[in-house]
Amino acid sequence: MKYLELSDVAARDMARAFDASPNPYTMLTTDFCYAGVNQAYLDVVGRQRDDLIGRNLFDLFDGGGQGDQARENARQLRASFERVLKTGQPDHIALIHYPIEVVDPEGQTRIEDRYWSATHTPIRGIDGDVAYILQHTTDITELQNLRKRVAGDRDQATVADLLSSNVLARAEHLQTDNLRLQSERNRLLDIFMQAPGFIAVLTGPDFVFQMHNEAYAELTGHRSLNGMPVAEALPEVVAQGFLDLLKQVRQTGEAFEGHAMPVQLGTGEHGALRTHYLDFVYQPLRDGQGDVAGVFVQGHDVTDVVEAGNRQKLMIDELNHRVKNTLATVQSIAMQTARTHAEPETFAEGFQARLMSLSHTHNLLTRTHWEGAELADILTHETEAHGSMRILPNGPVVSLDPAQALSLGMIFHELATNAAKHGALQSGDGRVLVDWSIQDGTVSLVWREIDGPSVVASEHRGFGSRLIERNVRHDLAGQSRFDYAPDGLIFSLTFPLERTAT
Amino acid sequence: MSTPGLEGRKVFVVEDESLVAMLLETMLEDMGCTVFGTAARVEDALEVIAGDARPDVALLDVNVAGQTVYPVAEALDRKGVPLVFSTGYGQGGLAEGWEGRPTVQKPYTEAMIRDALMRVLDIKNA
Repeated sequence: MKYLELSDVAARDMARAFDASPNPYTMLTTDFCYAGVNQAYLDVVGRQRDDLIGRNLFDLFDGGGQGDQARENARQLRASFERVLKTGQPDHIALIHYPIEVVDPEGQTRIEDRYWSATHTPIRGIDGDVAYILQHTTDITELQNLRKRVAGDRDQATVADLLSSNVLARAEHLQTDNLRLQSERNRLLDIFMQAPGFIAVLTGPDFVFQMHNEAYAELTGHRSLNGMPVAEALPEVVAQGFLDLLKQVRQTGEAFEGHAMPVQLGTGEHGALRTHYLDFVYQPLRDGQGDVAGVFVQGHDVTDVVEAGNRQKLMIDELNHRVKNTLATVQSIAMQTARTHAEPETFAEGFQARLMSLSHTHNLLTRTHWEGAELADILTHETEAHGSMRILPNGPVVSLDPAQALSLGMIFHELATNAAKHGALQSGDGRVLVDWSIQDGTVSLVWREIDGPSVVASEHRGFGSRLIERNVRHDLAGQSRFDYAPDGLIFSLTFPLERTAT
Repeated sequence: MSTPGLEGRKVFVVEDESLVAMLLETMLEDMGCTVFGTAARVEDALEVIAGDARPDVALLDVNVAGQTVYPVAEALDRKGVPLVFSTGYGQGGLAEGWEGRPTVQKPYTEAMIRDALMRVLDIKNA
């Protein structure tokens, strides 16, 4: 036992006792190397102590050579060791078919079919961690061979033979069942842990977390949960009524289903509360007596879906608002145009021209996804029907927001329509000079008609000029002025580029 | 065309679309009402009704220049001024606490405005 750090007499006696035991024992390190073996073990495997110590068990005994069966044998043995390391609890293999390489007294090496029963016990170091695995193996090859012989020659079977055969068969079945259950359990656990929905198991009157999966950890912000009551692990949900819901499920034994239920969880920055929307079920778990022992929590975070739905509703509301406002605008244009056009033909003409003007500005705005438009573009768009050479724009780049763009579009339309009817854009050589500048965030614009017929201020203020004045004051928060100079109309406009809150 | 009962009533209008505001003003004038004032923004509206200023009735667009009109509605409520909301939104267009208040939906006719005003001013049809 030279690898064990035992120095006193008692320890030496213990080591001697271990060596003298008729049962085969071996002591393995946590990476499955031989740390110690007793004589009985050496006798069973037919090896010398020095052949084994410090070497890896699986290097020496590979489960019987090549092939799936060998790999499966080695896998079963390794899995048992790993369970010991993981759980810190002893693990048993009732029956394992594990051929080994033996060296016979003549020094010949051969593979020998062996059947074993093994118990693996964790041995802890001073620090409490598992330091070694103690393997107690029983070679039950003889029993197994006996069973086979009995099966092969049923007539001569004795009661004892049959009995031992049944015991072995049972042991084998049990082990097969155990393996199957174990792998099923592992598969279920894997599914549970990796399920896209969140899952947790709560037990007892305080709803203590027994287990929870990755999605549940994600939802709750990777807090430490296992072994803690809900009220302690997730204190923020108590006042939100979720503890009462759990109690209700426990008392009534009836499942509770929540649909898109809002819950505030401390998953934001620095534990700030964030609203999640959850579809979930609290399913009562019953014990053997049929009493509710716990609650199975399962569900999905549907926050994205709920928020997308809310956004969609907002967008539909906004669309509805805009459409209804546009309809009201069109209604206004129709009614006001009708007041100044007695003849149906001229009404239709004036009405359509104003609708087209509105539509032109919409087209411009659509191009920029309703972010805005440039003053020069609006002017060009609204007046190009009157000939591009007759309206001369001159000014810097001015970017307008959508409301300003729509407003200026209407203003330019009304000015151009008026000029075509009464001013410089009638047939002839008349032109319009449009100059603008920008200073201290204020746009100053002058529409100057030249070389047209001489004009006189109209007695009747038509819808056009009222619309212009209204737009300037109402929509642009600016000021405007009409000067009827002898050689043509001069319209001056100033408005702030950015409307600041008053 | 003026409507008995509405003649001379001072109506305060909050509406951000100038064309719609113009239409409303024309309608109100046709009914014989006086336009007490027209505001295109919440701040401007609050300024108009600050102090002792008191219209007889108010027509409020719910959504004005990206804001909701409720601060104006609250101020008018405190003064005891009857309100009619106008909105492009559907039936659920009014926010919590304002549901069920008299509302006209855009686009509206003169008759719809007249009926709403007469209802909130408690004037019986002649």
